[in-house]
Amino acid sequence: MRDARDEVSGRAVRIRNPGAFAPITLLVLVLLPLLLMPLAAVFVFAFQGGPDAFREALSTRESQFALRFSLLIAFATAGVNAVLGTFAAYVLSKFRFPGRGALTTVVNLPIAIPTVVVGTSLLLLWGPIGLLGKFLEPYGLQPMFAPGGVLLAHLFVTFPYMLGSVKPLLDELEVTYEEAAATIGASRWQTFWHVTLPALRGSIFTGALLTFAHSLGEFGATVLVSGNLRLRTQTAPLYIFAQFEAGNLAGANAVAAVLAALSFVIFFLLLSAARRSERQG
Amino acid sequence: MSGRFSKAVASLRTSSAFALLIALLVYALWPWLPGHARAAAPRTIVFYGFSILEHAVSEDVFPAFRRTWRARTGEDVEYIASFAGSGTVTNQILMGVPVDVALLALEADARRLADAGVVAKDSWRALPYQGVVNRTPIVILVRPGNPKGIHDFADLTRPGVRVVHPDPLTSGAANWAIVAEYGAGRRAQPDDPEAGYAMLLGIWKNVVAQAASARAARTQFDLGFGDALITYEQEGLWDRARGMLHAEIVYPRHTILTEHTLVEVTRNVAPAEREMVDSLVAFLWEEPAQRLFVANGFRSVNDAVPQPDSVFAKIEDPFLIGDYGGWAVAKKEIVEGVWRDRVLKELGR
Repeated sequence: MRDARDEVSGRAVRIRNPGAFAPITLLVLVLLPLLLMPLAAVFVFAFQGGPDAFREALSTRESQFALRFSLLIAFATAGVNAVLGTFAAYVLSKFRFPGRGALTTVVNLPIAIPTVVVGTSLLLLWGPIGLLGKFLEPYGLQPMFAPGGVLLAHLFVTFPYMLGSVKPLLDELEVTYEEAAATIGASRWQTFWHVTLPALRGSIFTGALLTFAHSLGEFGATVLVSGNLRLRTQTAPLYIFAQFEAGNLAGANAVAAVLAALSFVIFFLLLSAARRSERQG
Repeated sequence: MSGRFSKAVASLRTSSAFALLIALLVYALWPWLPGHARAAAPRTIVFYGFSILEHAVSEDVFPAFRRTWRARTGEDVEYIASFAGSGTVTNQILMGVPVDVALLALEADARRLADAGVVAKDSWRALPYQGVVNRTPIVILVRPGNPKGIHDFADLTRPGVRVVHPDPLTSGAANWAIVAEYGAGRRAQPDDPEAGYAMLLGIWKNVVAQAASARAARTQFDLGFGDALITYEQEGLWDRARGMLHAEIVYPRHTILTEHTLVEVTRNVAPAEREMVDSLVAFLWEEPAQRLFVANGFRSVNDAVPQPDSVFAKIEDPFLIGDYGGWAVAKKEIVEGVWRDRVLKELGR
């Protein structure tokens, strides 16, 4: 029997030391009210009215739209950032140029910026009264308060995740293979496509999954740039917030339970991917 | 574990991961997949409303309009809506959300839109009843059995009473409540010019939670915060009608009747949609719509619409914003002059 902690590291460590019992119990006791019970509460409330009430809360047009819209945005965000992020990681890792350090800092900046600030800054750039938006408005181009605006916000907020997943691997990747490819006459593109990219496959997948998960839960920037229009730009987290504020706890909790369950699944996919790469590495 | 076995497990895991992702993608795309031929894109109205309107407009008034419009023209109207505190809604409109019609909690927010050039100055005053769609007084909700013995605004100034109040920065109800509290103080002691300030100070000393909208404040109160909630009568009446009111409504002796202003954001309305949007606007004052608002706990502006006393309790001394010079004056003198500049300063908030 291995416990969950060991699942993470992938090593089978059994508890032999009896002195470990107290700290482990303490940890579980601390984690219970801190992490586990709040999550359990969502599920308890979601199913309070029985499975029929749960299904009914989930079958409203608004909740279905919110879930679908969130998933589509998450897929699009993961797809675009998988390409953009891998490209950024490749450039920053393989080329030496002045300002590389500064650029690396800039692309990682979204991690440090509060998402609400991201939302505000997007509005002040692309919104109808924004720096660029006011020139677009006369042409009927309005990226904010539309699905495109939500996508822009999610691309911004999740940009560093791809980089964080791919770049360390690229930095460590043996140059020998690439050099070998070059000596037999492969172009830079061929080398990338046939040598570098296959080695990155696993980390691109985990990076994309991480991006997907974050996009699914994004709230702070979305609430500002979406205009919170139901059936048009309302994502699942916005739906949960709006329904909760309106006192519809059943509706809010049903969607919250679905989001939480999806996040668990993605998390376990990430764990198993991490374990596999550790075994290989 | 043999190598082959673990390899098989790993590949099973990979393929199930991909199967899951593909299933999610198919689910997300489902309504847009071919084979779901939908009717020709219907015409669309984008409606923004302040927080407590959600059920009345989304479930009752708009569906009624959709039916009349379909009967008249044979066309289907799609309805897209967003509800939040009136100040939040106004800020979103100022930032340029593509709204056609907005029902705001107070005229002061309509004036902000006019000042920014989003709608023509006083354009809403050309609508029926000067743009006021419905009313509801500001009341106090207390716990069942009224354990703290709260019967009027003055009782909220007692030490130990915890008051839940919406936030005047984003909530229309909160602005109304401030004028209600101020007016109640003034009208109880007409000789004392400081009585309004004293009432506000006393109540705000006891405010323990501020939510972004009347609806959100209500949720806070329902989750167990505070002894009293200052909010719209409609909040209590609608829940009572559904048998879901776990509180008592206390009618203050003096309180304000709130008036909710409609604005049509004409610059966002395409010429082809103008007739339909105008019809919706007119429909809001017609008797069927007014009856639906009454069924949702709002007081009608039209006296011809039946409003039984058994539901809508008589208020001893109701007053209007007009009694304090309208929102142009009241916002500056009461909300900003007294509440923000004196009460908040005194409380060090």
